[in-house]
Amino acid sequence: MALLEVKNLHVEFPTRRGVLKALRDVNFTLEKGERLGIVGESGAGKSLAAFAIINLLSKPGRISEGEIIFEGQDLSKMDDTQLRSVRGNRISMIFQDPMMTLNPVLTIGTQMIETLQAHRNISKEEARLIAIDRLNEVRIPSAEERLESYPHELSGGMRQRVVIAIALLTEPAMIIADEPTTALDVTIQAEIMSLMLDLCKMHNVGLILITHDLAVVSQVTQKIMVMYAGRVAEQGPTRDVIQNPRHPYTRGLMSALPQQNQAGKRLYQIPGSMPTLDAMPEGCPFNPRCEYVGERCYTTVPELEDLGGHMARCFKARELKESGSLS
Amino acid sequence: MSTPLVEAKEIHKNFDVGGHFLQREKPQVKAINDVSVSIHEGESFCLVGESGCGKSTLARTFMGLLKPSAGEIHYRGKRIDNLGHKDRMPYFQKMQMIFQNPYASLNPRRTIQKTLEEPLRFHFPDLTDKEIGEKVEEVMTSVGNDPSWGKRYPHEFSGGQRQRISIARALMVDPDFVVADEPISALDVSIQAQVLNVMMDAQEKRKLTYLFITHDLSVVQHFGSRVGVMYLGTLCELADTKTLYSNPRHPYTQVLLGAIPTLSCEEMTHTKLTGEVPSAMNLPTGCVFHNRCPHANDRCKREVPLLRKLDDGAAVACHALEEGRIS
Repeated sequence: MALLEVKNLHVEFPTRRGVLKALRDVNFTLEKGERLGIVGESGAGKSLAAFAIINLLSKPGRISEGEIIFEGQDLSKMDDTQLRSVRGNRISMIFQDPMMTLNPVLTIGTQMIETLQAHRNISKEEARLIAIDRLNEVRIPSAEERLESYPHELSGGMRQRVVIAIALLTEPAMIIADEPTTALDVTIQAEIMSLMLDLCKMHNVGLILITHDLAVVSQVTQKIMVMYAGRVAEQGPTRDVIQNPRHPYTRGLMSALPQQNQAGKRLYQIPGSMPTLDAMPEGCPFNPRCEYVGERCYTTVPELEDLGGHMARCFKARELKESGSLS
Repeated sequence: MSTPLVEAKEIHKNFDVGGHFLQREKPQVKAINDVSVSIHEGESFCLVGESGCGKSTLARTFMGLLKPSAGEIHYRGKRIDNLGHKDRMPYFQKMQMIFQNPYASLNPRRTIQKTLEEPLRFHFPDLTDKEIGEKVEEVMTSVGNDPSWGKRYPHEFSGGQRQRISIARALMVDPDFVVADEPISALDVSIQAQVLNVMMDAQEKRKLTYLFITHDLSVVQHFGSRVGVMYLGTLCELADTKTLYSNPRHPYTQVLLGAIPTLSCEEMTHTKLTGEVPSAMNLPTGCVFHNRCPHANDRCKREVPLLRKLDDGAAVACHALEEGRIS
């Protein structure tokens, strides 16, 4: 049985001007210990997908359709009490800004012990020992002293380590990390990412990594899901998607990276920007920006075409496959 | 060699922080320590480094937004940092700036037209309304903006469009020198490429000289002609982009380059950097990098390394390199 199975997930926001469909028809599975990357630009629905999984949508957002089977239970049907035993326990979350997760007026130790005691029936002393153990695991020097520190006394990288340590406290089966390194410097980003990769492997934890950075995803995950305007544009094994992208949007994203362009020359650019939910074009949502656009694209939304475990929502997915990988 | 367009000579910048008001020697943050940089016409000079290394402070010192604690700023060979506000006015027109966050740098209560007209009316009070209108239209079109945007307000635009408006504002008064402080780090990948292209086009058309500040080394490789790497307020390496990327000398530069994620699909590995960036309030003795450097010895702890010019034009501040301990 898969660790997580998301089937036909739809999320919508009722507004005064009608219902906005923020997420449509998202399907994926995550095996135990598997790592999935969700990639896309701001507003593509990648964070929304993650929040929907743990049923943490902000009102008036709601799951209008679909199932989220985690360890055999459907999270979308659970009430708050049941969800509380899953969130922060079996599924942990890591957010972009560590200060959003950490309470500024409590010491690191208090926060870690509190988390453990909320989910397990253990003494303060036992919880303290586990906390020290986790802080050592995320390579925080002099862990015991750090328990007495307040978040503001730590640097950005250190804070994110503490957040990772907290996420690992309850030995979760899955971690959802929403842009965990975007606010950090390059060298710290590399450290934190490789730390997360090691820990996930060591504890056999499933990881959903949400980011806009294709390069990071390619180096950390086994599966990838590219989102565009609330839909999955392309999904499949990371290596396949990166080396042989079949959706024009994925291709565009990769070609726009400076590394993929000859130095000093104009960069490849995807014209325009992503449409907003209330101004979605007819047909394929990518049609105004697509260089392969055909007549069909203006009338019909393409289905996800399965090309052997690697899927792309494009009429030309098969043709694009032929043209080989990007240099 | 010809006179550089702008030149910073032995710049120091300290900020007073806290302390008692009667205290003689207040605690200071040493943001920039003895940095000399010269930028020649037509160059795209990039400053890279992690947060807190002083790159933005240096840029602001160039612009006259901050007064250096010691050292001189020259423009076409003339010292300008000691000029009064009135005498400096012509130089303000020749030097313009683009900021990181386009959501903060545009006045939300002014129409785009007003925002764009202001620098013109300020620097060229003799222009007629018609001439101003024409100029606005010309600049807006040249950066790929629709001139009809003028009637609208900043909140009506996306991040990429706003950043293009900021670029237009900087170009309004026909500057020679443009400082761009992380102009694309707040933008999505596909939009980053658009903005970089606009900047490169403008450089070609208007013979601009850029000082480009970023922490993203992959952008530098594409955009920059020369690079300065900063660490804790000092310049540790200064080289042509090609030389720097093919042969990074300073241990810190090597770490920075090693930390760039790539689309390789290879699993991320650890960087060998240990420790944290020390505080600029309490700078380490000797080389500022010694506590994180794998090649540090006693001399590095005692003596500050000076930028030394090498045969291929690169300049590196490192004892280990000078002594031949590393190549």
